Amino acid sequence: MDIISNLALGFGVAFTVQNMFLCFIGCMIGTLVGVLPGVGPVATIAMLLPITFGLDPTGALIMLAGIYYGAQYGGSTTAILVNIPGEATSVVTTLDGHQMAKQGRAGVALGVSALGSFFAGCVATIFIAALGVPLTRLAQLFGPAEYFSLMVMGLVFSTVLARGSILKALLMVFLGLLLATVGTDLETGQERVTLGIQQLSDGIDFAPLAMGIFGFAEIISNLENPEARDVVRGKIGKLLPSWADIKQSTLPVLRGTFIGGLLGILPGNGAVLGPFASYALEKKIAKDPSRFGKGAIEGVAGPESANNAGAQTAFIPLLTLGIPPNAVMALMVGAMTIHGIIPGPQVMTKNPDLFWGMIASMWLGNAMLVIINLPLIGIWVKLLKVPYRLMFPAILIFCCIGIYSINNSVEDVYFTAFFALLGYVMIKLGFEPAPMLLGFVLGKLMEEKLRQALILSRGSFSTFVERPVSAGLLAVAAIMLIIALLPSINKKRDIAFQE
Amino acid sequence: MTDQASTGPDRPSGISGRMTQDVVAGLFLIAIAAFFLYHARGLPLGSLRAMGPGMLPTSIAWIMGAGGALLMVLSLISGGAVMTRPHVRGLFFVLGGIFLFGLTIRSLGLVVAGPAAMIFASFATEEVRPLEATIFAVVMTGFCILLFKYALGLPIPVVAFM
Repeated sequence: MDIISNLALGFGVAFTVQNMFLCFIGCMIGTLVGVLPGVGPVATIAMLLPITFGLDPTGALIMLAGIYYGAQYGGSTTAILVNIPGEATSVVTTLDGHQMAKQGRAGVALGVSALGSFFAGCVATIFIAALGVPLTRLAQLFGPAEYFSLMVMGLVFSTVLARGSILKALLMVFLGLLLATVGTDLETGQERVTLGIQQLSDGIDFAPLAMGIFGFAEIISNLENPEARDVVRGKIGKLLPSWADIKQSTLPVLRGTFIGGLLGILPGNGAVLGPFASYALEKKIAKDPSRFGKGAIEGVAGPESANNAGAQTAFIPLLTLGIPPNAVMALMVGAMTIHGIIPGPQVMTKNPDLFWGMIASMWLGNAMLVIINLPLIGIWVKLLKVPYRLMFPAILIFCCIGIYSINNSVEDVYFTAFFALLGYVMIKLGFEPAPMLLGFVLGKLMEEKLRQALILSRGSFSTFVERPVSAGLLAVAAIMLIIALLPSINKKRDIAFQE
Repeated sequence: MTDQASTGPDRPSGISGRMTQDVVAGLFLIAIAAFFLYHARGLPLGSLRAMGPGMLPTSIAWIMGAGGALLMVLSLISGGAVMTRPHVRGLFFVLGGIFLFGLTIRSLGLVVAGPAAMIFASFATEEVRPLEATIFAVVMTGFCILLFKYALGLPIPVVAFM
């Protein structure tokens, strides 16, 4: 059994004292930022990148991964206790989770969500381990045309998943692609749109862009629309679900894990869709759908499992194809490149320690999270009572220090301020930043693959439809776009996002 | 983040005289496209067989600009959410705080840059309590120095003026 020997190798790497410690730190920080609304994993990882410079690559990635899935756990705590999603993916949990909390069953909601997430995390770990090898083989068969079409599909998917108008999301993708062209041209060495600014000759850095938009612009937007914080008062109640609760949640957890895990693999941040899909499914097959929205435990168990499974399988496109499916994974690319590792199919063969160690650390991290999350809930509740007027200056200074430390560069701080302004304007104009960021992240690689493909085909675009895999990927993209644009589906999509 | 588009009152533009969100959004994209077209004008386009450095910036800018125009036209026909006023206070103090940090971190160090940025930024909300903000800023800066400089060993200047 290859998987077992591979996983054994991974556990050997993950269970060293240093890596276990880093995993723990990552999970703690992740839970913290997940709990705090207004600080996301993107800004946090960008902020903490400089800390990982001194670590070995495996340790660094284990810690960053811990922050990422820790944030998914923490986000649900806030969703249940305060009725605002700590993370975008826990929006659905607010529906029934907070109702359960109001009925004095906050503890059970938190318990079910943690245990469901843990189960989903375990399954997803095995899933990644099992899919890693075959997908990597597949990736080695991919030529530039297939890569390009796969990324097109990812970008289309990200626009379909964005809130609001698809046209606007699509335009944001183009804006991201446009920003990615800034810098020295890879083939001719000519500077493009650098405005004579020296820092821009290497292109726009991802960290200032991500931090400006997801860190600072969010702060300004949050100050503008203060959220009513409705922290559950009174007792949280017992944490362990009763036998009846467990029986009621088992099938939703299984279904949620499956849906979330499957959607998570899709490039284009399919992971965010998981909780919505799982909630919709549970509501549809429930004997009494009217219970949903009034504290149905299935409405917490399913989406929370889907959320966590998707967050983890989102690593698959990164580790096997080298394509980051969302902004967090793009930062992982940054972290890997800093340590001289180029993400892609070769990671598994060239750095098996890193690949399997990281996968094993995910299981370890999930186990730690159950332990961190449940007993520490009291602390998180206290933290949630810290008013935003103190929270945001603290976030600001952490971000400033983080962004300065990446290159010890004051210019980066100014760039971040500029992107904060851009991000705020975008929010004001009703643009979703996520598709823009993904376009930016994939832009350079897409240009490279497009050029290669066209050189191979002597300038003919037909190569993208003549190669069967590439044609298939593009067809999927086109079908998704058409379906999403159909008026009837479009309306349903609006409702789904409003829910 | 709330979706302003769904909360804003639906009003046909032109009649009220106020710009809809999408008209401004279209103008915003057209402006960025024009900016890129201007700055990429000297770059050789090349051919499809051998793309030059100017090919992608130019073509993407054209597509985005056209999309922006489409967005404007659609909004002029069917209306949509009206622009809401920008939160000038938040923008000014948050961005100002970041700039203060950038201005002072090299020359004066974190001891000054930290409190300066935090106290200034605190005024971004109406709820600011100056004394509380000051104490908090000083304590947080101390914590950051301990954490980033000593615990994590980042080469960040702490007291640069001495």
